[in-house]
Amino acid sequence: MSLNAKELIEAMPINFDETQDTSQQSLDKLLSSLSKMPVPVSRLTRMWALGSMQAKVAIAYFAYWMRSGFVSGDDKQRLLNETHLKAAFKLLGGMSYLRGAIMKVGQVIASTPNVAPQEFVEVLGRLQFEAPSMHFSLLREFVHGELHHDPEELFDDFETTAFAAASLGQVHRATLKGLDEKVAIKIQYPNISRTIHEDFKNLKAATFPMRLTRDWDNIQAQFEEICDMLGQETDYEQEAENLRAARLLFTEDEGIIVPQVYPELSTKRILTMSYFDGLHLDEFLTTNPSQALRDEFGRKIVRSSFRIGFRGKMLYGDPHPGNYYFMPDGRLGLIDFGCCRHYNDAEMDYMDSVEQAYLTSREAVYEAIIRATDLTSTDASRQDHMRLGVEYADWVWEPVQQDGPFDFANQEYFTRGVAIFSELIKKRYTRSKPINTWLTRNVYGIRAILARLGACIDFGEIYREEARVTKPKK
Amino acid sequence: MRITAKAKIETRQRILVAARKLFSDKGFAGTTTRDIAVEASIATGTLFNYFPGKEQLALAIIDISLESAHSEFLTSQRENESLEEALFSHIAIMLRHLRPHRGYLGDVVETTLSPFNQSSDDDASANLRARHLETVQSLIEGHATPASPQPSAVIMHLYWTLFLGVLAYWAKDESPNQEDTLVLMDHALRLFVSSLDINLNTLEPNRSS
Repeated sequence: MSLNAKELIEAMPINFDETQDTSQQSLDKLLSSLSKMPVPVSRLTRMWALGSMQAKVAIAYFAYWMRSGFVSGDDKQRLLNETHLKAAFKLLGGMSYLRGAIMKVGQVIASTPNVAPQEFVEVLGRLQFEAPSMHFSLLREFVHGELHHDPEELFDDFETTAFAAASLGQVHRATLKGLDEKVAIKIQYPNISRTIHEDFKNLKAATFPMRLTRDWDNIQAQFEEICDMLGQETDYEQEAENLRAARLLFTEDEGIIVPQVYPELSTKRILTMSYFDGLHLDEFLTTNPSQALRDEFGRKIVRSSFRIGFRGKMLYGDPHPGNYYFMPDGRLGLIDFGCCRHYNDAEMDYMDSVEQAYLTSREAVYEAIIRATDLTSTDASRQDHMRLGVEYADWVWEPVQQDGPFDFANQEYFTRGVAIFSELIKKRYTRSKPINTWLTRNVYGIRAILARLGACIDFGEIYREEARVTKPKK
Repeated sequence: MRITAKAKIETRQRILVAARKLFSDKGFAGTTTRDIAVEASIATGTLFNYFPGKEQLALAIIDISLESAHSEFLTSQRENESLEEALFSHIAIMLRHLRPHRGYLGDVVETTLSPFNQSSDDDASANLRARHLETVQSLIEGHATPASPQPSAVIMHLYWTLFLGVLAYWAKDESPNQEDTLVLMDHALRLFVSSLDINLNTLEPNRSS
């Protein structure tokens, strides 16, 4: 094991040991020291040690997140919470392989800005939580069990080494039997979805008796939302359905493509789809693309997001750079629809009402934010919450409201958004409708990509074009 | 009347076919040697001329499957496989061949292969064990550096115990497509390879990442 990994393990605050110092100060100290440590990514094959270490890191952050809510409680409640939390950690210690639920929780917390403290986002974001990798012998048996044939019998040129990691599995390239069609085959690690399901069930049972903050009910609702989403992510049949729906949303001349699914070669745990031979964002940027090309891809990214939302009634929940392919012919490829939230009618109405508020008056905006955060109290902190809520909403709507191109390369805009967000988190103003968890993730994800891309585009115009599909002007 | 060698082979084969059918239909525990004799159209006493008991009969059926699995394994090895992967493949192919006997394999493991059972000392089970471990040993040696010592008897015993554990687990595995057994094999072999006290050519398994 590398020295860094050893240091990291030694620094863990949670040993599933009741005598462990549980003070907030020691966690703070740990957190600051951890954030300075390099991430031990070498020697992945030492999975036992590394896997367990990753789990401990995730649990440490989970503990921190949970405990940070204790501050506002009285002593009796705090003691009760600690008892529940210790029980939860004991339970976690006994969970199968410790790499199901909590590691995914850690990952989601990290990429769910309005639930997680910024520190989580920074440090967890640098860790790679993945299912254990499979060698070909294991993979072949799994595929045989699922599709009743070996991969070599099902495909031509099946590449035994994965070319990418996928959610809870890995992705292999192959060619369709007897055809010249390249495909990507996403294969889940055996039994991981059941492990996650069971682990979540236990985790919820152990943590939900806790009463952390005054917004605990709301946090619970958001946590439930995350659990549901992760459950969906382990079901590749659901993802195949999302892909089929998304694929129908775009015409050929729009230059936005979604992989075709091959259902006869897919199951709940294996997903075979067309392969995109494109570049990821960072690779694309190294080709020194012109501003016009950057803008063109930027427009496609934004259009695809709005199209999927307004017409498809789906939220592309995982808009990170790895899920976009920049194709040499100028097309944008969208992959990974595992993390896709379907809006219900009430949520579509909610989003519509926020838009209408911005078209109406500031008072209407205030009211929309009160509805979004479910705030009714008028105490001082809630007013501060309101102030920040409005600042956040204004920041979100700024590119929509601007006439003409909006320059996402402008660092001030994105930095301001992160600052508002950090303040919301620092003050634990996390009360929100569960759908906002995903909307926020989407908003920050897309804008971070646009900023990195350096796109300068008429965001508002695309928004209005796409929103018009379902919303005639009132 | 002298029984020809050919007739002996045919009778033996008939017994095996009958036993295989009855074990599958009625389970190992629910089948008696008398049932098998009736199915094979021979006298019960005649059956004992070929097999000392039901356990040895079951073992013989399993042995035939393992033999064909072994032949398949020898032709299916890929280049650049890590030791861990080769061992995995070895067991996986055996499980495929043993699939028709899964329903009663647990009983066989318990009664004839288990180190806790006296009958496991008989020739048939000893031969099966020896042949299996010979393959495993040659795989380990094939992945070891030239100067490495041979794997110790303790290591080989450890492997055999692990293998029996996988068989017993698989026989009772209710998970979809027995996928939990795959995970068990993955972990168990990783643990086994890491416990080897010899130098391997490639400590890094050929895992995708």
